[in-house]
Amino acid sequence: MALIEATHIVKIYPNGVLANDQVYLSVEKGEIHALVGENGAGKSTLMKILYGLEHPTSGEIRLRDQLVEIHNPQVAIDMGIGMVHQNFMLVDSFTIAENIALGRESTLAAGLTLDRQKAIRDTQELSKQYGLFVEPNARVEAVPVGMRQRVEILKALYRGAEILILDEPTAVLTPRETQDLFTAVRNLVDEGKTVIFITHKLREVMEISDRVTVMRDARTVGTVNTAATNERELARMMVGREVFMQVDKPPVERGTPVLDVRGLTYVNEVGRTLLRDASFTCYEAEILGIAGVEGNGQTELVEVLTGLRTASAGEAYVDGTSVLGHGPRKIREAHVAHIPEDRLTNGVALTASIGDNLIVDRYYHPPVTQMGILDLNTIRANSADMIEQFNILAPSGDLPVASLSGGNMQKVVVARELSSDPRLLIAAQPTRGVDIGAIEYIHQQLVDQRTNGLAILLISADLQEVMKLSDRIMVMYEGEIVAVLPNTPDLTEDKLGLYMLGAERQPTAEMEQNR
Amino acid sequence: MNLHFSASQWRLLIAGVALAALVIGLIVYQSFELAEADNMWDAITGAPDWQNILFVDALIGVSVVLFILELRGDSMRILLTVGMALLFGFFMTAFFNLDAADKFVRGNFEVRILSDDDSPVDLSYEQDISGAFNNPDDPITEGRYSFLGAEGDKVTILAYAIEPESGLDMQVALLDESGAVVAEATEADRRVQKQYGDYVQSETDAAMRDVVLPADGLYTILAQPEGDTELQAEFGVALLSDHDSAAGLIYNGQAVEDIFNREGDTDPLKQVDYTFIGGEGDTVTLLAYAKRANVPVDLEVILYDEAGNKLAENFDANDEQVEAYEELKSTRDSIIESFVLPATASYRIHVQPQPLDLSTKLDETLDETVHAYDAFLLGPLSKLNRWMDWQRDAITLIMLGLAIAIVFRAEQFSLGAEGQLYLGALVAGVIGLSFGDVPRALLVPIALFSAATVGFLWGLLPGALKAYLDANELVSTLMLNTIAVKFYEMVITDQLTPPDAGFSASDWIPENGLLAPVITVEQNSITIAIYILIALILFSWLLIQRTPLGYEIRMIGANIKFADYGGVNTKRTIMLAMAISGAVAGLAGAHLALGVHRKLLLTISIGLAFEGVVVALLARNNPLVVPFTGLLYAYLRAGAQIMEREANISAEVVRIIQAVVILLITAEALVTFFQQRQVRRRGSGGESGDKQDRSLTPAEGGVHG
Ligand SMILES: Nc1ncnc2c1ncn2[C@@H]1O[C@H](COP(=O)(O)OP(=O)(O)OP(=O)(O)O)[C@@H](O)[C@H]1O
Ligand SMILES: [Mg+2]
Repeated sequence: MALIEATHIVKIYPNGVLANDQVYLSVEKGEIHALVGENGAGKSTLMKILYGLEHPTSGEIRLRDQLVEIHNPQVAIDMGIGMVHQNFMLVDSFTIAENIALGRESTLAAGLTLDRQKAIRDTQELSKQYGLFVEPNARVEAVPVGMRQRVEILKALYRGAEILILDEPTAVLTPRETQDLFTAVRNLVDEGKTVIFITHKLREVMEISDRVTVMRDARTVGTVNTAATNERELARMMVGREVFMQVDKPPVERGTPVLDVRGLTYVNEVGRTLLRDASFTCYEAEILGIAGVEGNGQTELVEVLTGLRTASAGEAYVDGTSVLGHGPRKIREAHVAHIPEDRLTNGVALTASIGDNLIVDRYYHPPVTQMGILDLNTIRANSADMIEQFNILAPSGDLPVASLSGGNMQKVVVARELSSDPRLLIAAQPTRGVDIGAIEYIHQQLVDQRTNGLAILLISADLQEVMKLSDRIMVMYEGEIVAVLPNTPDLTEDKLGLYMLGAERQPTAEMEQNR
Repeated sequence: MNLHFSASQWRLLIAGVALAALVIGLIVYQSFELAEADNMWDAITGAPDWQNILFVDALIGVSVVLFILELRGDSMRILLTVGMALLFGFFMTAFFNLDAADKFVRGNFEVRILSDDDSPVDLSYEQDISGAFNNPDDPITEGRYSFLGAEGDKVTILAYAIEPESGLDMQVALLDESGAVVAEATEADRRVQKQYGDYVQSETDAAMRDVVLPADGLYTILAQPEGDTELQAEFGVALLSDHDSAAGLIYNGQAVEDIFNREGDTDPLKQVDYTFIGGEGDTVTLLAYAKRANVPVDLEVILYDEAGNKLAENFDANDEQVEAYEELKSTRDSIIESFVLPATASYRIHVQPQPLDLSTKLDETLDETVHAYDAFLLGPLSKLNRWMDWQRDAITLIMLGLAIAIVFRAEQFSLGAEGQLYLGALVAGVIGLSFGDVPRALLVPIALFSAATVGFLWGLLPGALKAYLDANELVSTLMLNTIAVKFYEMVITDQLTPPDAGFSASDWIPENGLLAPVITVEQNSITIAIYILIALILFSWLLIQRTPLGYEIRMIGANIKFADYGGVNTKRTIMLAMAISGAVAGLAGAHLALGVHRKLLLTISIGLAFEGVVVALLARNNPLVVPFTGLLYAYLRAGAQIMEREANISAEVVRIIQAVVILLITAEALVTFFQQRQVRRRGSGGESGDKQDRSLTPAEGGVHG
């Protein structure tokens, strides 16, 4: 008997997009059920329907063989269905314990009369029970993303979730955090819970799930036992063709220096040095990868270089001209493109149209603006072009970006930045949240552009991605560059790991040589 | 505006055009008062400046089409909200009109008896009667008048010559039933003359003061000439008493009058009885009717005999009776017609307001409410003059709505339009006042330009404070508003008010400083402000949708971090957005000064700018929709004013109803606004450094509903 079963689910969004078409999903009690599919296949939509956030146009949902109607999330919670969204819905300024306790009595009065001591006790207990470590007294805004995710999970459990939906939980996690999450998920299942798990990383599917349901083009392709399948077969089911995940990377001779960084230092408002005396060079026709555990100054390095933060000391030159201290416009005009690590913070404007999102770096000069007036035809042609070229799943460029699936939003960002004819591309987490087909495409794009002379600074939480694409790899630890290594076949993850964890530091002379 | 039409847009366009045609038709039909016209075309072309009026009506139609095309589904939502709000307002109006039927139980009324027969009594208290001695047609030498008196009643009886010059000398006697003299008099002393000057003017008249009647019964007043009994002259007899007359009414005598349920009375009159003495076989007609047609108290009348037996009753007259008796004004009045009295005796007429039944109450409430709502909904169209008032208000509101839409588009909550409006009015007004001899073609553009400039600067200021000092624009603009308004008031009272003026206001602005009229109806005009407005609408739309600056404004509004990241100079854009908005608000001020008031009044706006906020929010900050929402809002305002004037509802209640309607509409606008903001906010996280923590997959939990 299936614990929860969705049959013939059809969902048509108000703008006419058919997001689910006769979808079938059946999840057994106590299993870890992975849900995979390309960007825009309808995974999130289906989950939102199970959680009462969206209403199916037609179809039936059965919980323990009972026909149910899930009108809103409260109903779902009462039925024991919990969901962790990618964008967490926590109150940032509250402590973790408060957030967890507030989840249950979600009224204002509850907020006023909250028993804080009890909340802390409950949080600790729950945390121990499921092996999900959190600090009950820390404010949500001050804790790292992995912990926030655990808070979300605990919140769902605290409300009595029996079925837990995790929508792309690992997209934002470091490999280490991912392993912790998997341990916790296994604990949950041991406790009798059921988990539905969405991811684009087939490795993770193979590692954690019992069964997999594959979606494609709003339909379910099928459900298979994980043990009876493999990554390649899954990829084929998802995409409908063979996916190689191999990039074709011809060797090229690197050219002249494009980005020259000297002594770059960033001290934040409270006086902590987050980036210390970074000096490096990125050359024409080269991908310079940055490896490092998240939070070791990569973000600050990128944001200083792109003008979003002001350097405390140091200089950066692009093709010989100093670019810092004048804001992003000047940097962009030096032909620097930037894929930001968090597309939602600054990569897109959700309510603006796809077309408008695609021109933010070029709206003020021809061909977009001619004689002081925006040329709508150019904007439209541009978006149609990008949608086509980058395979963005969108019926029209006039639609708001908010109506795209997560991966497709990322494609909008990548499309804009790659199409800006850059000299230097600073790419932070360029494939976060995109499906394997798109990863393949984006990777190939990056490599091709590098082959054609582009200088790329690549930052990724995914070490394999860095190692696959980079020509050189720079390791950051606590705001400092601790090693610069050519990406030769004998460079191993383990070796990088030593630098990343601060266990080792490259001798200065050697570093200078590779710089 | 999207010029590439898809199938669904064609459908929308058709729906919009149909609605627009309907609206224009209604406006033309009502405002030209075509219902009463013999020839519609003549009625239209007979109106002054009719071509321009039709032009403006056409523009209203265009605004409707734009509203539908631009907002699509949302437009239905807005119309629905407005409809619901109006419906709610209707119920509120009905609620405040629940006592509408009370007018039927309240008000002045009169009661009369008519008869062809002679009355057994001729007088009752507080009445007078007249006759003529030695009239050749009917020669009498004495007048005998009977009245019914009660024991202990104190009466004053006066007999007097109608014309003092006639030389008639009167004497009077009061006789009881047996004919014995109770009292008599031949003189009227000075005191009597003074007290009863209406009747008695000479000491040759006769007066008996305060005679106490010894018993119940019929008394007779005998009035005779004294001395010359051959004299031909008219005389009068008055019977006065503070007591209630035992015989209150007399055939064909004066009507008695009273008020039922007077408002404010602690113990109001609810019913009343009158007596009269009737002779056996006399045919009488009893009338009870509302004194004034507009106070339509609904009466019923019942006739009882002395023993209290009901002899006849009537609740409502019929149509013929209303025709036949001039006293009767409607069928609500009551009549007992041609009743033959069975005996000579005292009779009692009982009169009271007809009790209200539920259906009358509901009918009346509904009638009143429909009447009030008719004034509310169609009032602004009922005359060309009112149509003009509506248009002028709408021009101001649309200008302000545009100003607000521009800043709101950039998510800047500037409420500075109020101050900018005042300063714009001031500058334009002062220029108009001071350079009256400069030709109009030069002066008006200068005045307008200056108003726009001062508004621009007054918007730049909070913009700069926001951009460089991070001062909250809401607070700073509100403070700048106060400064601007106070400064304006100071200049008006101290500098511009002519010394001999009774209240604070400038002189009239000379003709050359005024916006030229385009439509004039009964001295009420719409000026070229309408063209300025059209230009402003196009300008705002172009600015926001089609210029790089507009793009910057939109992106800042959608996600300021995205704009920053993309290289937009956000500080400059914020300042410019607030300044341009200020310029538009300044022009609205110039319109008020040079086009509407034609002088600088002390108060030109009480929160007009805030109404502009509602207009802008309803229009989703879309410059092409603002005209429609501005017209709508101005219409509701104008309608409420007319309802206040025309309907039976107090001004306060009208305010409440108007406020509730507007509150509901505003709520709709605000809810939508915050919903959209929430979507935008989903994207941008907090300020803390750990941005990577927020890398999210937005479709999840992003937009729903
Ligand atoms: N609120 C919305 N309004 C309109 N269309 C939407 C909305 N949300 C999603 N869609 C569309 O529905 C389709 C399915 O979206 P969904 O978010 O379910 O995809 P997904 O499988 O979760 O993709 P991803 O892996 O990229 O997150 C997409 O084409 C998307 O553009
Ligand atoms: Mg998704």
